[in-house]
Amino acid sequence: MFAATLVAACAALASSGLAVAAQPSGVSVALEPLRIHTELGRNVLVHATFRNNGPAATGSLIAHLNVLSLRSGVEVDPEDWSTHRTRYLGTLPTGGSQTITWKVHAINTGKIALYVAVIPQAGLSSRPATGRTVQLVVAGRRTLNSGGILPLALGIPALLGLMSGGIQVALRRR
Amino acid sequence: MELAVPTPPTRRARGWAIVGEQELRDLWLGGRGMLLGVAFSLLLSIIAYLTATNQALNFLEQREAVNLTLQVAIAVGSLLALLAAADAVSGERERSTLESLLLAPVSRLGITSGKLIAALSLWAAAFVITVPYVWFLGRGVGLVGKAVLLGLVVGTLLAVFLASVGMLISVFASSNRVSLSVSLFLLLAIFTPTQLPSSAQKGWAGEFLLRVNPLTAGEHYVGKIVVNDHSWSEDASWLISPLVAAAVFFFLAAFVGARYMQLGRRASE
Amino acid sequence: MSAAVETDGLGKSYGSTVALEGISFSVQSGEVLGVLGPNGAGKTTAIRILTTILEPSRGSFTVAGVQHSRASEIRRLVGVLPESAGYPAKQSGEEYLRYFARLFGHSRASARAVAARLLEQVGLADRGQSLIGSYSRGMRQRLGIARALVNDPQVIFLDEPTLGLDPAGQRQVLGLVRGITAERGATVLLSTHLLAEVEEVCSRVMILNRGRLAAEGTVADIARRAAAPRSARLRVAAEHVARAREVLANAGIERVDSADAQLGSLVALLNGTGSTTGMNDGLRALADAHVPVLAFELEGARLSDAFLAMTEEA
Repeated sequence: MFAATLVAACAALASSGLAVAAQPSGVSVALEPLRIHTELGRNVLVHATFRNNGPAATGSLIAHLNVLSLRSGVEVDPEDWSTHRTRYLGTLPTGGSQTITWKVHAINTGKIALYVAVIPQAGLSSRPATGRTVQLVVAGRRTLNSGGILPLALGIPALLGLMSGGIQVALRRR
Repeated sequence: MELAVPTPPTRRARGWAIVGEQELRDLWLGGRGMLLGVAFSLLLSIIAYLTATNQALNFLEQREAVNLTLQVAIAVGSLLALLAAADAVSGERERSTLESLLLAPVSRLGITSGKLIAALSLWAAAFVITVPYVWFLGRGVGLVGKAVLLGLVVGTLLAVFLASVGMLISVFASSNRVSLSVSLFLLLAIFTPTQLPSSAQKGWAGEFLLRVNPLTAGEHYVGKIVVNDHSWSEDASWLISPLVAAAVFFFLAAFVGARYMQLGRRASE
Repeated sequence: MSAAVETDGLGKSYGSTVALEGISFSVQSGEVLGVLGPNGAGKTTAIRILTTILEPSRGSFTVAGVQHSRASEIRRLVGVLPESAGYPAKQSGEEYLRYFARLFGHSRASARAVAARLLEQVGLADRGQSLIGSYSRGMRQRLGIARALVNDPQVIFLDEPTLGLDPAGQRQVLGLVRGITAERGATVLLSTHLLAEVEEVCSRVMILNRGRLAAEGTVADIARRAAAPRSARLRVAAEHVARAREVLANAGIERVDSADAQLGSLVALLNGTGSTTGMNDGLRALADAHVPVLAFELEGARLSDAFLAMTEEA
């Protein structure tokens, strides 16, 4: 009965907007928002809440943001999307929580997945705790309008050249 | 018995301002400055055209294009300021015009200051010419204001540093050719660390070299903000060497350079 | 009347090389002092010290009554035309003078007026707007003199102002120098190789040799002091040459040579004191001996002779 109650509770939670995954380490990772629509070049914020659901305080924890493309053939360099992806959380007391925010730049168009993994700083053999992935949909945006480049590329040198020529002519006339 | 010292007519402007104004006139109305500006704008035009017509350019590459434009502006502007300053005293000496200037009642500090102003005007012009290109390339990625301000700050620090170095070399060089050669050699030496393999740049020694070198430190700072969208304070420690270099060498050029400015090693028959 | 320039034991050394040693002289206000000396004598060094370009190694000096320690005050009071001064080719003459007028404290308007006046004075008014690069050497020298006058100086130093000029150009520049001294009453120190210039323009002369003061005084004083030998060139009828030699020898003129190919031309070498008494006796003797003198000219005791004598001796 207890097990059935537990399963029902998890199902109820899973269907809610807040995604929580129970982890053997007792640390849960909740990301929000789970779906982001943005345009190429914009910045978005991803918040991750780390909660210690275990009976004892955790050791020092490390959280790391990963970025990957959901479309094959598209190379994503996570370093370009967000700096300081690795964060050192310190310890979490029982029932305690901490929220970290990452600023993410939309470098490429398409569907991008973001997820956060948490590992103890000391115990390398532990399985990382993760939350649900965030789906980032980046729409294209024309960031460089090449129309008008010729007037600029030719106009500025021509203007400076005219000014220079004018000065030389004026000097020679003396 | 001391004869009465006639009071000069009302002094309307300080010596450095008069020297600076004349140097600016010689540089810009004389045609040299404008020609350099035309050549520089052609270079930027090529970069901007190639960037703008590249349909496959992604967002990051566009930021890198803005970064490249800024780096070129800073490098070329600083180089021009260096060369102008390297000619400032040794060139006058070689053209036999220095003695007349030293005979005027303007302090040597006023002379070096005025000439530094003229040298730095080349950087100022390079910066102004760069702005429309940065605007064109950066407007789509929301970079214009930040890039312009960044270029102004970092570029000015580096231009002051290099112009001051050039002025110092010019004061002590035995000829104008020596002055220009030493200045160019120094510039090459300063740029060399940028050519080190990335693995060498990442170690503690490599990073130290990059940080201590004002040019590479400034270049690093600009790149982090423009390309990686770092905040101004995030990499602020990289600005230490450009700041210190600009301050120290400006002081040396203005004061020490003034103290040792002479006609030549043997200004006699 | 106070001295416009006064030096006391002025000396300049470069390491072990002594460029100037123990130079003491004074120049009164309104005087024109010619500074002579062979190459390397120290003329330009002396001028550069007095105009505060160089610092002396020893001694002291005053210019217009101002001690040498107050260099910036001295620079306000002097005008200088340096030897082989350069000029910016891309500036006009007017712009050049305006620049220096402003450096000497004039406002923009005042500097413009000063430049126009000086260009007029040195004969460059019609070329004031032309680039200096188009000026001839003579025009540049005149421009340099104008620049030296931009601050209405009390003492003017001209170092080789006629260097590289043709005779017409030299005449022009000397005329300017005469005009400067006549109109302004300024004191002028004129360094030159051309002894004729010095004789023409200068009231006093100073000869430097190997960094030392070889002589100082008026032209005549120096010539006398140098005991430069004098000679007289005279012409008698061809048939009287032998008789003339005999008469002159009896009158105490020891040496009489034939001069050039013209028959009857003789050169009589007089004593070294510069006195013409011996020649007067000789002429009287010729007259008493009824030897007609067809032409006569006294030679020597010129500054050039004194200059050579003083500088060659050392």
